Amino acid sequence: MTDQHPALHLRGLAKRFDTKVAVAGVDLAVPTGSFYGLLGPNGAGKTTTLSMAVGLLRPDAGEARVLGYDVWADPVRAKSLLGVMPDGVRLFDRLSGAELLAYHGLLRGMDPAVVDQRAAELLDVLALGDAGRTLVVDYSAGMKKKIGLACALLHGPRLLVLDEPFEAVDPVSAALIRDILHRYVTGGGTVVFSSHVMEVVERLCSHVAILADGTIKRVGTLTEVRGDRSLEDVFVEVVGGRTATGEELSWLSR
Amino acid sequence: MAVPVTAVEPPARAVSPRHFVRLKLRVLGNNFRGQAWRIALFVLGVLFALWFAATGFFLLAAPGLADEPRYALLAAAFGGGVLTLGWLLLPLVFFGVDETLDPARFALLPLSRRTLVTGLLAAALVSVPALATLITVAGLVITAGALGGWSAALVEAVGVVAGLLVCVAGARAVTSAFATMLRSRRVRDLAAVLLAVLAALLGPLQLLVLAAVRSADWDRLTGVARVVGWTPFGAPWTAGIDVAEGRAGAAVAKLLIAAATVGVLLLWWSRSLESAMVGAASAGPARTPRGVVGGAVAQLFPRAVGWARRDRFGALVARECRYWWRDARRRANLITIAVVGVFVPVMVNLGGASLAVEGGAAFGEASANSSPVLVSISMVFVGVLASVTLANQFGFDGSAYAANVVAGVPGRVELRARMAAFSLYVVPILLVVAVVLGVVLGRPEWLGVMAGGLFAAYGCGLAINGFISVLGAYSLPETSNPFAMNTGAGIAKSLFTLLSMVSSAAAAIPFVVAAGLLGDVWLWLALPAGLAYGAGAALLGAYLAGDALDRRQPELLASVTPRR
Repeated sequence: MTDQHPALHLRGLAKRFDTKVAVAGVDLAVPTGSFYGLLGPNGAGKTTTLSMAVGLLRPDAGEARVLGYDVWADPVRAKSLLGVMPDGVRLFDRLSGAELLAYHGLLRGMDPAVVDQRAAELLDVLALGDAGRTLVVDYSAGMKKKIGLACALLHGPRLLVLDEPFEAVDPVSAALIRDILHRYVTGGGTVVFSSHVMEVVERLCSHVAILADGTIKRVGTLTEVRGDRSLEDVFVEVVGGRTATGEELSWLSR
Repeated sequence: MAVPVTAVEPPARAVSPRHFVRLKLRVLGNNFRGQAWRIALFVLGVLFALWFAATGFFLLAAPGLADEPRYALLAAAFGGGVLTLGWLLLPLVFFGVDETLDPARFALLPLSRRTLVTGLLAAALVSVPALATLITVAGLVITAGALGGWSAALVEAVGVVAGLLVCVAGARAVTSAFATMLRSRRVRDLAAVLLAVLAALLGPLQLLVLAAVRSADWDRLTGVARVVGWTPFGAPWTAGIDVAEGRAGAAVAKLLIAAATVGVLLLWWSRSLESAMVGAASAGPARTPRGVVGGAVAQLFPRAVGWARRDRFGALVARECRYWWRDARRRANLITIAVVGVFVPVMVNLGGASLAVEGGAAFGEASANSSPVLVSISMVFVGVLASVTLANQFGFDGSAYAANVVAGVPGRVELRARMAAFSLYVVPILLVVAVVLGVVLGRPEWLGVMAGGLFAAYGCGLAINGFISVLGAYSLPETSNPFAMNTGAGIAKSLFTLLSMVSSAAAAIPFVVAAGLLGDVWLWLALPAGLAYGAGAALLGAYLAGDALDRRQPELLASVTPRR
């Protein structure tokens, strides 16, 4: 029954902080089985949008549905289908990697034996097994991203929402994360992730949405959005960036 | 093109403490922006502080206004000494220090240590408590002036300012040193001992004062005041009084003592400041003990939580348990409970003859020594103090709480688990408190009364703090300094702490009354009644507050997430 619904459906999501409008009505339909990239410059409202979509931030208006279940009206069903890796949010980082996975698994109501087995596998695949009992707080940035991804994947969600999964990750870890996500989508899962790294998005995504100033500027499959140009050109044009010409900042060169 | 870039130009304008003060005021102002309730709390806090300051001012000015030179030295030495001691100890035990200007933020700026320390000191002086203290001790200037004329007033004014510097620099140095010590996991036990010693200083001092007051032996009291006046605690405050009494040489010496004290404290502070700044960049060596045993789930559960089922509740309890030990901020709270919990009741019940009179007046049972009523009151205090640690339990988690929101943890399970995990640490501590007190007082038959009062107050406190933690949560800065506070949060924290303690104590009052009225029956009844009352209150609190938590999980997450 859930297959008739988009994996993630946002309608008119809006949020304002004090006087600043962070997100001004976002509509988005993420088809099941798609690899969806949410592009936007810093401060475009990507994190705010995703936070509202997964139940971390209460929207002022609009609704978010995960495979047909309303995140805000029926959170238990929606959240059980959802795996989330927020950005700029700490993990319970005074646990070791294995402890953190066990915590997340049990919190999701999983069977302890399954948690043990999957945690061991994830730690092995993500090359975190060597860290042993090192606390997550002492992990490197890339390791933190990887353990965060492992926590989001552990309970086998149908939809994975990742905020900036490739930020501060070295190329080796990034390739590993890409592989895992690819396998996940091939296996019928859906991934939504935010980024401002064009290469990654072009390489991975089947669909793309460009968010700027709190609204969706372009949306569609990668080929639709990109046309015959590079994604970066489209992005810069939509966002309206400027390039330094060289007259200003002359004191930088001695 | 090789350009010799060795010449470092001197900065166009030197950085002065003025910049730090302006920065602090600016940060303070920005914190209030669009936060009406924060402004309200701040105003309320200022009013409280002014009230206390005015009271203190008149108390210290009284010897001068009433022309009673006999009391002037006492007021200066003891009043000032208590203030100084309060500045040193209260941040450790209760309030924390305002880290609006986190030293670590200045690590990359080309500032000399001297500039940094004087700047931070100047910024620290611009705070409500410092201002209130200044108003209070201005009373001493009045006293000195009334008794010794202008010269005495002038010297006392200098002394008072030096005294304030001692207070503020001392508070900073002590908390900074402690933060450094607690961060390093190896010396945390030493830190615990030192904190115990510091708290224990309160004991003898109070005993001394009480003994002196009781015997009303003014000569001896004056003698003690003279001695205190020569220590750093009393020297700055008593300088002007010495002038009034015609000992100008002593006054000069005391001002020198005060100045030296400030110097030493600043030196100490700048030492620990350096390590704090480095520590922020790398939070100590990574701990990598080997020997992983069992699966992930087995690793999560500490041995003390082995009884818990491997489910949601169990996972929460296990995680909280690990956190109470591994998080320096939480551990500092536990140590405080243990130390204060043991020392305060012992002090009150051994040396508290005057308190006993107070308690007796309230409950119609006067006695020179300790009594079940007095014991119950002190036990209620300890129970309440222990539970108030949870008043901002979600603030400890910070943004990490998002994991629980994403997983959709039901509020009641969440709160019950947090209470259970905290109790695993606190209940043994409370039992030790009861036993130690029973042994020290030589009244083992009161054990039931003591434990009953403890558990009743602790349970009520858990319930009330469940609510406060859900409704009045605030964010803590993400530093490893266990004493750090956000600006404004200091006042919020004090108010919520006060509210929580008063209401928890009120809920436990039946146990004090019963101890007074029921007599010997209560010795047997108190423990089971206290257990039932406390457990019932805690469960009811988790049930009701859990509902509130379910409704406002995202809002709670937003309020504990530090603004960046």
